[in-house]
Amino acid sequence: MQSLTDIRKDFPLFEQHPELAYLDSAATSQKPKAVLEAIHHYYLNENANIHRGIYDLSMQATQAYESARKKVADFINAAESREIVFTKGSTDGINLVANSYLAPQLEAGDVVLISAMEHHANLVPWQQLCHAKGAHLEVIPLNERGEIVWRDFVERLSPKVKMLAFVHVSNSLGTINPAQEMIEEASKRGIPTLLDAAQSVAHYPLDVQALGCDFLVFSGHKVFGPTGIGILFGRAERLEEMKPYQSGGGMIRRVQYQETSFAPIPQRFEAGTPHVAGAIGLGAALDYVQSLDRVAVLKQLDALKDYATEVLNGIDGLQIIGQAKAKSGILSFVMELAHPHDIATILNEAKVAVRAGHHCTQPLLEGLGLPGTARASLSIYNQHSDIDQLKEGLQTVKQIFG
Amino acid sequence: MNERLKKLYQEVIVRHSREPYHYSKDADGEVVEAYNPLCGDQYKLFIEQEESLLKSLHFHGYGCSISKAASSVMVQSLEGLDIAQAKARVEAFMAVLNPEVELAGLSIPEEYLAFEAARNFPGRLKCASLSWETMAKYLEK
Repeated sequence: MQSLTDIRKDFPLFEQHPELAYLDSAATSQKPKAVLEAIHHYYLNENANIHRGIYDLSMQATQAYESARKKVADFINAAESREIVFTKGSTDGINLVANSYLAPQLEAGDVVLISAMEHHANLVPWQQLCHAKGAHLEVIPLNERGEIVWRDFVERLSPKVKMLAFVHVSNSLGTINPAQEMIEEASKRGIPTLLDAAQSVAHYPLDVQALGCDFLVFSGHKVFGPTGIGILFGRAERLEEMKPYQSGGGMIRRVQYQETSFAPIPQRFEAGTPHVAGAIGLGAALDYVQSLDRVAVLKQLDALKDYATEVLNGIDGLQIIGQAKAKSGILSFVMELAHPHDIATILNEAKVAVRAGHHCTQPLLEGLGLPGTARASLSIYNQHSDIDQLKEGLQTVKQIFG
Repeated sequence: MNERLKKLYQEVIVRHSREPYHYSKDADGEVVEAYNPLCGDQYKLFIEQEESLLKSLHFHGYGCSISKAASSVMVQSLEGLDIAQAKARVEAFMAVLNPEVELAGLSIPEEYLAFEAARNFPGRLKCASLSWETMAKYLEK
């Protein structure tokens, strides 16, 4: 079995920054060598535009791109590759569903249901759509630990709800939502569902058939892949009924000056030359994840999270925000006397990278009476010494602000 | 603690952030908002003006120690000045934050100089300038 220390060696950035305690993987993950090499290899050996190329190189590039799609499908256990649409990232995927799936059928008085812990990416697109249609954005509240209370959830599943969109793992609280159970409740009532798996994809197994969701999105860069690429999974029958999102080249079947018929899914949703290198990099990232003993890695990550929680709880005047029973390695915290940005500046001097602010969950934090938090987020390459470094940095915060 | 941090978080800044001057939720005068959407820092400036005189200044809000201290120093040092004097002070403070300005030889209030250390922390310059930029806009009116 690979220990977390071995895994760290797979990530070249740490050779360049051996002293860095990188605790910001919820924002973006570092990239293993295999991903960098795959992208490099593609541009060196296989670069050509995909589809419709008759020459070898183009066919090779097309094959590499489509094989990345197959890897994504396998990774999340989609029934068919055509259920995978390549996007720019989670935000792009959610906008696609809001515009192409929900917009044509949402009517005044309808409801879109989200949770109070959504990232702005899974809030603003629905909110704007609701504004445009005279529909209502309903928000499932949280308890004081940062969890969805089952009864609060179920009682909001009215016949007016035309979409349930929620996050699998909260990026600011670390809460792991009972996705499968929630989707099942919604599906029983015929409510379509979208799961935002941006924070869960790197560490938790995703099986769209077991989850039963209609849509799922994630971003490549949070699962050790490149930026600028992500995926939307949509059940084939849902995608089939959707109109194109953007139009142009690549998504057509036949174009005349006055009429166009569109390509089948998933090409219908991939107008323009796609991010071929990104898709290939993402495929390599998923291969990398699958080369690990994921159960064992998650176990070590959980142990590291427990250690970090203990360390943070041991610091006077520090409060961890988000105390869910089911929680991932995302630790948001505030300190009595120091503002999150001061904490982050001081930690930076100790070569500790954390994020400070509202983490794109402004309404959530405002609801908690907090304009921001500092957030340490863990990934598979983190080690105990990173947490010790964090602890030392936080001692300096206390020294300055007392 | 390293020297860079010591310089940034020296006494003036920590003291002003802990015990800000004229820090109150409500005060007389026109209310102007200073807001940085990138970090969420947000202050209300209460500006009571009598003809060309900044008769009294107060502020309130939320932000990091740098932005709060900078706001506090601003309110304290501009209060009682006329518009022209205040503009000159704003200019002096902005010079302190500008890495391209050589400060030696310039006449700059002692308390402003504490913020020179922010030059080493480009990500925090905006914290120091937030309320001052808002004030500069107000004074231009």
